[in-house]
Amino acid sequence: MIKVENLRKEFKLSKKQMKENNTTDPVSVAVNGISFDCKEGRIFSLLGPNGAGKTTTLRMISTIAKPTSGSIVVGGTNVVDQPEEARAKIGFLTGSTGLYERLTPNEVLKYFADLNNLDKAVFEKRRDHYYDLLDMHDFKSKKIGQLSTGMKQKVSITRTMIHDPQIVVFDEPTSGLDVITAENIIKLIRDCKTAGKTVIFSSHIMSEVDLLCDDLAIINKGKLLYSGTMDEFRKNMQTPTLTGEFIRIVNAN
Amino acid sequence: MKKIFIIARKEFLDLLRDKRTLIRMILIPLLVFPIIINLVTMVQSSAAEKEAVKEINVGYVLNGQSSQMIDSFSEVPNYNFIEYSDSNALKEQLLIDSITVGLHFAAAFDSDYSAGKSPDLSLFYEGVNQEDLGRVKFLIEMQDSIYTDNRMKSIDKDYGFIEPFTVVKRDIGDDNELIAKYAGGMLPYFFLAFCFMGCMIPAIDMFAGEKERGTIETLLTTPVKRVYIVVGKMIVVTVFGLLSASLALLGLYVGLNYMGLEGGFMDLIKGMLTPGLIATLYILLVPLAIFFAGIMIPISVYSKSFKEAQSILTPLNILVVLPAIFGFLPGVELDYTTAFIPILNVVLACKSLIGGHPDWVLIAITFFSLILLAAASVYISIKQFGKESNVLR
Repeated sequence: MIKVENLRKEFKLSKKQMKENNTTDPVSVAVNGISFDCKEGRIFSLLGPNGAGKTTTLRMISTIAKPTSGSIVVGGTNVVDQPEEARAKIGFLTGSTGLYERLTPNEVLKYFADLNNLDKAVFEKRRDHYYDLLDMHDFKSKKIGQLSTGMKQKVSITRTMIHDPQIVVFDEPTSGLDVITAENIIKLIRDCKTAGKTVIFSSHIMSEVDLLCDDLAIINKGKLLYSGTMDEFRKNMQTPTLTGEFIRIVNAN
Repeated sequence: MKKIFIIARKEFLDLLRDKRTLIRMILIPLLVFPIIINLVTMVQSSAAEKEAVKEINVGYVLNGQSSQMIDSFSEVPNYNFIEYSDSNALKEQLLIDSITVGLHFAAAFDSDYSAGKSPDLSLFYEGVNQEDLGRVKFLIEMQDSIYTDNRMKSIDKDYGFIEPFTVVKRDIGDDNELIAKYAGGMLPYFFLAFCFMGCMIPAIDMFAGEKERGTIETLLTTPVKRVYIVVGKMIVVTVFGLLSASLALLGLYVGLNYMGLEGGFMDLIKGMLTPGLIATLYILLVPLAIFFAGIMIPISVYSKSFKEAQSILTPLNILVVLPAIFGFLPGVELDYTTAFIPILNVVLACKSLIGGHPDWVLIAITFFSLILLAAASVYISIKQFGKESNVLR
């Protein structure tokens, strides 16, 4: 469903950035030739420490950033050649996803439904489904700026799912959220799998990965260190804990 | 194309719920002229009323001469004449402000006048009391003509004897030309300034603001072409610029017609605000507002936050002020060079319209040069928004 091949992303550094990074190289490589497959109906986790290149990779999959080289094919669509078509298949959510604070959930959802060419009847049915599922009726007409973090996250979830994407991309979705709100996200990821969707999510929390994912890739400093199924990972562990094994792989490279 | 309007509609709704936008782009332009006109009218009328009833103290030293002239002055209300023995006492009182003007008759004033000579009547004053000096001079000029008439009668001649010819001034020029020369640049400038300010907040909010709030990434993952996003937002920036200018115009119209005093400066502005001027101003303002948006959007796209964008864009006000100031200068006119200088060309085109002799070829050149600039600025905005180093900065 998502096929990533020899993906590379370089950023040009300004003189100021070169000085800050203590380097004479004017190019910073965020992602360095990584390849992996996310199979249909499975949950794929991109694991790595801070600055590993997870967000950049997910941004390239979601067409927010362009790869320097390599290819990404999402549901049969090349994201560089046909970015609009690729985006129509993707739902994107991050832990820090912003919403339009002066609009109401109703208005935000209508806006994203319109941008995704959703038919009015389909939109209303899907919206009401999420309102019921996430218990959103009480605040659907309040301005988002007046809502709590948990309520906002429910709006973000609905916004991500409103066009019924085949692929859902989560960039550190539970980062900075309280336990109850994070639980909503975990549930959403599971529901996506149940509905046959392909999920790719980035994380540096091993317990979250253990709980959810079918396949995983570990990256550090832009390079792929490990790629395989979760079962294989568990089977070949050289340390007693998942976190210990993750640290071992990162440090070994 | 439909997506452009979906984006524009959402941005309108979003911005119209922002208090900062409402105050700076709607309330201020709408109220600024009525408030200014009201204040000017209040100050003007209260100053005129005070001046009319104010009693002034005028000192005089007769120096042994007849008090005939002072007696006739004393019949005029709101003047209080006080006699002093010598010029030193008169100056002393002037310096401590117990009088504002002093009159000193020459020692042989009466006899010299009778002998057909021109004796001195000295006026003592401090430069700051020009209004009071003017009022005393007015009285003296009236007496001067009476004294002249008397002298002419004594030699059996009329006034024409000492005035060999009379210069008669006949201004056959159009008042509008004079207005245009000295004040024609100011009126369009106000609307350009409001248009610029009206573009600023939406341009910052919709790009730098979206980056800061983290909503830009979400928007970029929708199946909408980047160019549609920029154009949709640019429409909103342009419309808000035009809206601000229109509200300022409406405020000026209401202020002039329902709040200001008749005559003087108010009539001058009313005389300039013709339908032709307003229509031309709008035709030129549309591409200019797009150009403004095109300057602001790339800066806003590049900025990390609302504050950063604001700190870069606010000093750009000078870009509007400077060319407009050149347009105020008498003698600077719309020609084949100035027609290509944005802002200045709009000011000068309006100036030529107010003067009543517009050169439509030059105004057309102005319009098309602005269209070209607007197109270039749209292109640059699209390019800058397409750069991920800007959007993800």
